[in-house]
Amino acid sequence: MEIILAQTVVNGLMVGMIYVLMAIGFTMVFGIMRIVNFAHGDFYMVGAFLFAIFYGSNGAPFILSLILAVLGTAALGLFIERVVFSRFRGNELNGMIASLGIALMMENGALFIWGPSPRSVPPVASGVLSVAGVVFPWSRLVVIIGALIAVGLLYLLITRTQIGRAMRAVAQDSEIALVQGIRVEVIFPVAFVLGISLAALAGALMAPVLSVSPFIGLAPTLKAFIIVVIGGLGSVPGAVAGGLLIGLIESFAGTFVSASIAEILQFLVVIAVVLLRPQGLLGRKEREA
Amino acid sequence: MMRPARAPVKLLGGAACLALAVFLPWLAPNQFYTHLGTVACLNLMLVLGLAIIARAGQLSMGHAGFALVGGYVSALLSMNAGWPPLLGIVAAGLLSAGLAAALGWIILRLRGVYFVLVAFSFGQIAVLLALDMSDLTGGANGLIGIAPVSIFGHSLVSKPDFYPFALACALATLLFTWLLYRSPFGDMMAATAENQRLAESSGIDTHLTQVIAFTIGSGIAGIAGALSAHYFRFISPDSFTFWESVSYLTMLVVGGRVGVLGSVIGVVVLTPLPEMLRATQGLQHIIYGAVLVLSLLFVPDGLASIPQRLRKARQTAPHNASLRAGTGP
Amino acid sequence: MLRFKVLPALAAALFASTASAETLTLGVNATLSGAGAVFGEGMAFAAANMADQINAKGGLKVGDKTYKIEIKKYDDRYRAQDAVNAMERLILEDKVKYVVGPMGSASTVATQARTNAEKVVTLTMAFTPKALSPQLPYSFRPAITTAEFTGPQLAWLGKKLPLKRVRALEPNDETGQSVANSQKEAYKAIGVDLQVDFFERERVDFVPILTRILASADALEIGGNSPTTAGLLVKQARELGYSGPIFVTGGDVTSELVKVAGKQAAEGVYVHLPIDISRPETAAYIKDFEAKFKYPANGHNLFMYSGLQMLFAAMQKAGTVNDTTKVAKELESLSNFPTVLGPAGWTGRNLYNTNHQIDLPFYVGQIRDGVATKIATCNVEACR
Repeated sequence: MEIILAQTVVNGLMVGMIYVLMAIGFTMVFGIMRIVNFAHGDFYMVGAFLFAIFYGSNGAPFILSLILAVLGTAALGLFIERVVFSRFRGNELNGMIASLGIALMMENGALFIWGPSPRSVPPVASGVLSVAGVVFPWSRLVVIIGALIAVGLLYLLITRTQIGRAMRAVAQDSEIALVQGIRVEVIFPVAFVLGISLAALAGALMAPVLSVSPFIGLAPTLKAFIIVVIGGLGSVPGAVAGGLLIGLIESFAGTFVSASIAEILQFLVVIAVVLLRPQGLLGRKEREA
Repeated sequence: MMRPARAPVKLLGGAACLALAVFLPWLAPNQFYTHLGTVACLNLMLVLGLAIIARAGQLSMGHAGFALVGGYVSALLSMNAGWPPLLGIVAAGLLSAGLAAALGWIILRLRGVYFVLVAFSFGQIAVLLALDMSDLTGGANGLIGIAPVSIFGHSLVSKPDFYPFALACALATLLFTWLLYRSPFGDMMAATAENQRLAESSGIDTHLTQVIAFTIGSGIAGIAGALSAHYFRFISPDSFTFWESVSYLTMLVVGGRVGVLGSVIGVVVLTPLPEMLRATQGLQHIIYGAVLVLSLLFVPDGLASIPQRLRKARQTAPHNASLRAGTGP
Repeated sequence: MLRFKVLPALAAALFASTASAETLTLGVNATLSGAGAVFGEGMAFAAANMADQINAKGGLKVGDKTYKIEIKKYDDRYRAQDAVNAMERLILEDKVKYVVGPMGSASTVATQARTNAEKVVTLTMAFTPKALSPQLPYSFRPAITTAEFTGPQLAWLGKKLPLKRVRALEPNDETGQSVANSQKEAYKAIGVDLQVDFFERERVDFVPILTRILASADALEIGGNSPTTAGLLVKQARELGYSGPIFVTGGDVTSELVKVAGKQAAEGVYVHLPIDISRPETAAYIKDFEAKFKYPANGHNLFMYSGLQMLFAAMQKAGTVNDTTKVAKELESLSNFPTVLGPAGWTGRNLYNTNHQIDLPFYVGQIRDGVATKIATCNVEACR
């Protein structure tokens, strides 16, 4: 029983880390640009596809494929930010609706270019690490390590660098940031590209573990939504806590009850959080509307 | 177009459109167009429901979820409890509205974005439950053999029989929405959408206003969902996913969010679009997405705003004043 | 709406001047976009291939007339309501009498009352048992479904392996649900306790569920899953240290499964083999098709092509394309008919009270070194 419990916790934390990557990117884009990006998961999908092409089809080395996949997705993200999202600054509603259009185009564009049949990517690592009866598949450990490194680097970026501080200032209050001379027109694309790059990284890391097809983005997007509501919209620590919590809920409900219950439970947690602690577990209190 | 002539022209145009809609079954080359007309009527109701919510400044990404609830409620009431479909449709509307009122009361206290995310999750959960409770809902295959609507003992089974009923429901919804917008409550909704804090300080209970708008809009969605269940005479969860909510939203945005005319234009323009592109693989979705983004970029107030913009442009042009399309805050 | 009236008129005017031979329009109502497109495209390509071949030979001779085959294909976006719209259009506007599809179960169930009332012959691929019944004289199914193969296949496996408790993992969609139902019956028939867990279709991480169910399973059944999902399940189960037998009682999964799970994890997995590619006529078709369309010939493609071979033969036998009642009768009476998948006839009386279910051989396979090896040949009665 203890082994099952430990295994369940480990499983939950492993899948939770991917959710964390998704949710951080989503919450950053929202916190800074005030855009609810329904296309967030589609950057995950593009990252996964590019990785599948570089690593799976062309045999490029793992790290290089990761970097290329993220850079390629980032370039696409920058283009979309410049052409579309930059025009909706300060208009939350229209920005969000535009992201729905982008999501439609990206998913079906991918279908057009890459076809409907799922691709599989050769595993990066195989075998399992077994510690006291608890199993850690190496293929997943690679994902966890990658995700941890990314989150660590991001932490350094936002706390230690000038651009990171500027981003936090904009997230706090963009008007004051403007007065202080922070160039919002630089911060916005940087934040957007950074946010979707995290999604692309998550996609690329998960590609060998799972499979790649044009419609894999919706599920992680939904997860990111739930996580940021639970953790507090715009809060990066909240995204980390929320992501791990959702991973654990999924793991425990999936192990001990059933998979469908897990989804319904998550929704109930959302309602409970909204009722009891509307600013989210770790969110700042919003100004009164 | 000269100014004094505008009102009669508008009236005449409206009457012509109405006549076209009423006589569609006789004008169309075959019944497929009548079928499309019925689908357009149902879409119009759904879009108007969404428009009412948007009028109060919110966006419901779970709209299809309320249509699903309405559809299943009415279908099950008629199949299992023997209720006449007309009564079931009313019950479906009331239940969807009640659900929206409860959900809205909780989440509308928060900022708009939270509402969007939670309404979205609600839509997902509704589909999930319909899939899961297969003893009741028939699971993924859905329910077949749902009773047709029957009025004074006359069953509306055939397409030309159902169309007038659907059209009457759609027109009633249109009239209701129009009256709602012109009522004092309509002003409150508009004020809430315009600037919540300002509305609050002038004594409007914005929370209540939004909850009521959400309740009415979702209730209409429930009725439309119930109507579609009794028209298609089957219901399955796949017709009420998130992407349906997106397509209603696309119709609303492309047509225009300001008045009722926008919803009508959006539905009339975009209901046939999937039919024109049905033979193409996936292209229709890309076009839908592009239409949405382009209309936001270039006609943010929708197709319905074009005549007005042209007029304004003409009036201001002589004064050399430039008119910028307002996408700003 | 007005624009709509102009279009058909214009089209009619155009076609009136060019059409010299008679045309027979074949409708396609399948999923051409989204995640299900692989299967729908397989069906559409089968129709296109058949039409090309017939037209290249100058047309289809029926009675004293020769027909060029024209295809009208519409996408149902894997939504039953869209399938209804597409079917209405095929019936009302295109006046089609023969339809390839619908593909999904919900789509089929939603349209079948209408197609049968209109006497439209449909070749459905839906796995639901509701797709065939005596009340649906114009609905045929040219695909072997779980209801046909699960029983004989499991009876055979049950004799081979010691099974008491089998745990199944299926997607919570129409395929998963209907597969689970036929599996429950088939396992019960061989005295095995089967417990099914459902998961949401978008789910990709199965480790939690697998952790729970593998603890108490003699075997894992994953028959209702897409090939990729089945591959993921095999991979994740093996990673968790599970070494028992895995059954994939359904679908043509081997190549995808091996790609996703890897050769090592896939070794020994029992699969349903719908198609025997070592059959000369099948191999010849696949080679020809893939050279022409640059697209893999999947199960949906081969089954639909076989069904169309039978349909067109039935038209020729009936001597008419307009009297679909006669054509349906002739189609029903075909037996031992040579198709690309081997000699085919119709079965289904026991399950559906009507013989509208294609009767073709199928096989039990086991994955060895990344390839499915045929270990038994079956028909609806039993495997040998």
